[in-house]
Amino acid sequence: MSERLVIIGFGPVAASLVEGLLPAVRSKDLHLTVLGAEERAAYNRVLLAEVAIGAAKPEHLGMADESRLRAAGVDLRLGTTATGVDRARRVVHTSGGAVPYDRLVFATGARPVIPSLAGLNFDPHADSTLPAGVLALRTLDDALQLHSVLRGGGKVLVLGGGILGLEAALAMASAGFEPVLVHHGPAPLGRVVDADGGTLLIRQLEAAGVQVLSGVRATGVQKKDGRFHALATDTHGLIHADALLVSTGVRPRTELAEGCGLAAGSGIPVNEQLMADSSGRLFAVGDCAEVAGRRPAGLLAPGWAQAGWLADFLLSHPAPHPSAPAPDLGCLPGPQAQGGEILMLKGQGLELTAAGTVQAGLFDDPKQQVTVYADPASGRYLKIMARDGLPTGFMALGLPRTGAELALGFERGTALPVDPSLLLRLDAPFEDAQAPAAGADDQLCRCSGATYGQVAHAVQAGCSTVEEVGANCRAGTGCGGCKERIEELLRLPAQA
Amino acid sequence: MAVATHCPYCALQCGITLDAGTTPVGLSGRNFETNGGALCRKGYSAAQLLEHPERLHSPLERGADGVLHPVSWERALDLVVHQVRAVQQAHGKDAVAVFGSGSLTNEKAYQLGKFARLALGTSRIDYNGRFCMSSAAAAGNKAFGLDRGLPFPLADLDRAGTILLLGSNVADTMPPFVRHLESARENGGLIVSDPRRSATAELADTHVQPAPGTDLQLLLGLAHVLLAEDLADTEYLDARTWGLESLRISLASWWPERVQSLTGVPASVIRQTARTLASAAQAARSGGKPVYILTGRGVEQHANGTATVSAAINLALLLGLPGTLAGGFGTITGQGNGQGGREHGQKADQLPGYRKITDPAARRHVAGVWGVDPDIIPGPGIPAAQLLATLGEPGGARMLLMHGSNPVISSPNANRTAAALRRLDYLVVSDFFLSETAAQADLVLPVLQWAEEEGTMTNLEGRVLRRRAALAPPPGVRSELWLLAELAARLQAPTVFNADPREVFAELGRASAGGIADYSGVDYTSLDAGAAVYWPCPAGTPISTAPGERSGTPRLFLERFAHPDGRARLEPVYPQPAAVDDADLRPGTISLVTGRLLEHYQSGTQTRRVAELQQAAPAALAQIHPDTALARGISDGQEVVLENSHGRVEATACLDAGIRLDTVFLPFHFPETQNANLLTGDAVDPDSSMPEFKHAPVLLSRLERHE
Repeated sequence: MSERLVIIGFGPVAASLVEGLLPAVRSKDLHLTVLGAEERAAYNRVLLAEVAIGAAKPEHLGMADESRLRAAGVDLRLGTTATGVDRARRVVHTSGGAVPYDRLVFATGARPVIPSLAGLNFDPHADSTLPAGVLALRTLDDALQLHSVLRGGGKVLVLGGGILGLEAALAMASAGFEPVLVHHGPAPLGRVVDADGGTLLIRQLEAAGVQVLSGVRATGVQKKDGRFHALATDTHGLIHADALLVSTGVRPRTELAEGCGLAAGSGIPVNEQLMADSSGRLFAVGDCAEVAGRRPAGLLAPGWAQAGWLADFLLSHPAPHPSAPAPDLGCLPGPQAQGGEILMLKGQGLELTAAGTVQAGLFDDPKQQVTVYADPASGRYLKIMARDGLPTGFMALGLPRTGAELALGFERGTALPVDPSLLLRLDAPFEDAQAPAAGADDQLCRCSGATYGQVAHAVQAGCSTVEEVGANCRAGTGCGGCKERIEELLRLPAQA
Repeated sequence: MAVATHCPYCALQCGITLDAGTTPVGLSGRNFETNGGALCRKGYSAAQLLEHPERLHSPLERGADGVLHPVSWERALDLVVHQVRAVQQAHGKDAVAVFGSGSLTNEKAYQLGKFARLALGTSRIDYNGRFCMSSAAAAGNKAFGLDRGLPFPLADLDRAGTILLLGSNVADTMPPFVRHLESARENGGLIVSDPRRSATAELADTHVQPAPGTDLQLLLGLAHVLLAEDLADTEYLDARTWGLESLRISLASWWPERVQSLTGVPASVIRQTARTLASAAQAARSGGKPVYILTGRGVEQHANGTATVSAAINLALLLGLPGTLAGGFGTITGQGNGQGGREHGQKADQLPGYRKITDPAARRHVAGVWGVDPDIIPGPGIPAAQLLATLGEPGGARMLLMHGSNPVISSPNANRTAAALRRLDYLVVSDFFLSETAAQADLVLPVLQWAEEEGTMTNLEGRVLRRRAALAPPPGVRSELWLLAELAARLQAPTVFNADPREVFAELGRASAGGIADYSGVDYTSLDAGAAVYWPCPAGTPISTAPGERSGTPRLFLERFAHPDGRARLEPVYPQPAAVDDADLRPGTISLVTGRLLEHYQSGTQTRRVAELQQAAPAALAQIHPDTALARGISDGQEVVLENSHGRVEATACLDAGIRLDTVFLPFHFPETQNANLLTGDAVDPDSSMPEFKHAPVLLSRLERHE
């Protein structure tokens, strides 16, 4: 009999896991059931801000091809909420009946953190009903709500200086809305920018159309006619707006796991092999998983790496035999902990790529290599921290190619160039200066191998057109790329 | 007397004129459409191959002393027949295998396939095109239902406003091609994607420089932007394709910021490139300059090569280009007859006319032409890399006939290939020089060179060309058609094998009739009269010999694609979650990409024997970024070592700031310790069996000489 595998949750990480398992589903070695609480198959949350501003269509966010998966044999149950897990009987209870499993994967994801502000109900485990005009941006419904606020000409406050809040604010600004970003630190993205970089980031955000209020201590929300009316603060008094977009982080959905006796920390605790207990049957991936004590990143890339690894693992290691103890896999390497989380931010005239921490000063730690380049007038700032040649953090603002190469190197653990200023030159607005003047023995025509000397000789011998030069020494008769150089030599005044 | 023929090397098949009346033989560029009279250095010097002192003049048999000795043709033929019989008697029909080439004429490629199936009765035939065009072919067949490298005449590029060139360095590999990029360059619209600042990238208006092995992700990012920003041509997609919704879902996860962190190409460049292509395509649809997307081996020779070409085709389809006059998609075929070579039945799974060997109707048709019972035609064989890897092993072939190929240099993981050839009971190589592979043979058969034979070649645009004999072959040298006919008769093949190229072409035409690559309406007479004929060209197609006129099917898909319902398929691509190779993550490892030089062709068997070319490029130079070199204490011109689990290569460092910091480039034309394919691995594409030539993790260091 084929193994029964159940995945609880159908977000992007679960979709990637399903993709990896598909060959075994097609060959009927695996009976795969996916439980999704939403009616929709996995969709792309990265584009929710684009939906909110009307730049992307909701129906274009799908990340899993429902009909393709069903055709392959996946038992896809959308709109089905898992209500409990019975580990002894190996059954998931759902809103649509019991589903037995041999192995089970929690991919329950996370929900937005609602800060404890006066006027907001605070319940860490509830998908709480927020007052009208207060919303998070986690689901498609959230995005559609925000869309209707914006379409009505409403002013939106974004609460939180993290990457998601910034992205939402920049998206709104790019569509001509005038968002206000409210956060409590000295600069948004606190951990990945230093003081100077943070100041420049704020300046660039403002230039991109986002008003930034830093150092704000919010205390509560004020409502009028049951709707959000203003954010109450200790530092800035009342800040009025038509809607409050809460972007203060996410919290893993752990209640199902807790309900079946798995202790929850900052997520569902799993070991390096993503196992939630010693039975070898329970796993967790993505935003709900606390891997070997590490807090979930809240980014997609690590979740996808886990999904890819787990798919390989599940396909290559059969479920433990009911009567046998689970095999000891302690030495099996888990999903590669990649270099780290890389943040990328886009907006009009603003491009930021950052990772790790860059807060240390130039001379704080003799073992730390620090590289800084700053040109605030053109919106460019680069700081790289490295140890033993390997980058430990960087921030590149206004330097897209530099940032892209640093991100790639950070991800792969590649050493920095011996001369890090090379990276800056990747963003030079023009090519290197002209090569030094060519000598007679230098090649003029790559295709024929003809040299400057040979062409000059042909010209002196009386050739007056590119064709005649070609007939004389073959220069210019291949790809034709050197025609201009030959013409230059033809234009030179005749040698005495 | 001057004879109009074509250059022996690449698929551009430049027109040349040979004059055998002079000494040495005169060679000049001829005004033919693909080259307009231009030639590259390889072409200009090709006549030096003709009366070359190293030319083989007699069959060579390896004696008991381990040395190759001249023997008569009579003995050589008897030896082959004797060995075939002995091996097949002991190990079965499939114990004898045949390895062909994209350098063979259509006639020879056709005859080789027929010879394997009927005279040897073996399923084991494949060819070096598997290392070349198979990924593009697989993706083209999936999307369009037909694979012809360029589905339009090359000269159509002369009007282009925008060309996206992916992984192709035509300025080195086929220089006269660059003349067809002029219009796009004048328009500021040449976009080249290559990890190196290649000679072609130098010509580009935009050079995108992804990390090696990330072309697929880059293409998914570009397509993502087209859909996310509503830039796709939905009217075209509705009318001419299937699969948009599935494609859209497959692309949802490839937003530019994610692609940036995988490719090193900035998200802003990805967005900008997609927008540029979209606005150019939109302009082209309303009468502006056309837009083309072209792929080369750089993106195809990977374990995900088929998926990568599918992604490039998807991009072209989203832009509404293929099958219109607003542009299109094409792949730039490499070998001289890389196009014809994949149509006439020397592929493991194919019969003539690009027919599937598993299709009962195709088998009946071809068997009818051959005058045999369809049941005696063997089933599909195994693809090249597998065929070579299993030689001499249980279930693998024990005797091999090699034609027009030098896999000791050109196949991946060359150490393994050389070991596999040594395991054979008997290796027969037909060549005109003692190539590195011929040097390992038990029997070497000297055959005709390009300027001594009649035949046809099909160039990169699907146009059928005449190769003409300009001089008589030296004594002792025989044509492969004669050789196959003689062997077939001695092996008592159940049908006749003709040795006359014109007759073989006519038979090939009949065998291809009704197939995808239908040649039945093409004949030597009209080709000789100057007709420009593009396949498919079924019997009865009117052929014009007027200059400037085209016959057959110069432009495919204008009305319908070749799938039965006439629509193209958008093929969703799901890259397998990156199988992280531990070696890739080892500190200090960099990416090796292999490729070609202007001065050399393929394994170098020919070009390394031309003094002018060998002088210009005598040895393997490893192209290294100066900073990458600095970190390893390497200076320009120093000897370096590149090594990994497959092998070790020695080369000379050539510092060049135009290559990525994480990449090193080696040409693959050189033998022995300089053979770049000592470092390439065993991974192959799941669809096409194309090996991963263009990406191998290596460690780079200075060569330390010990006294």
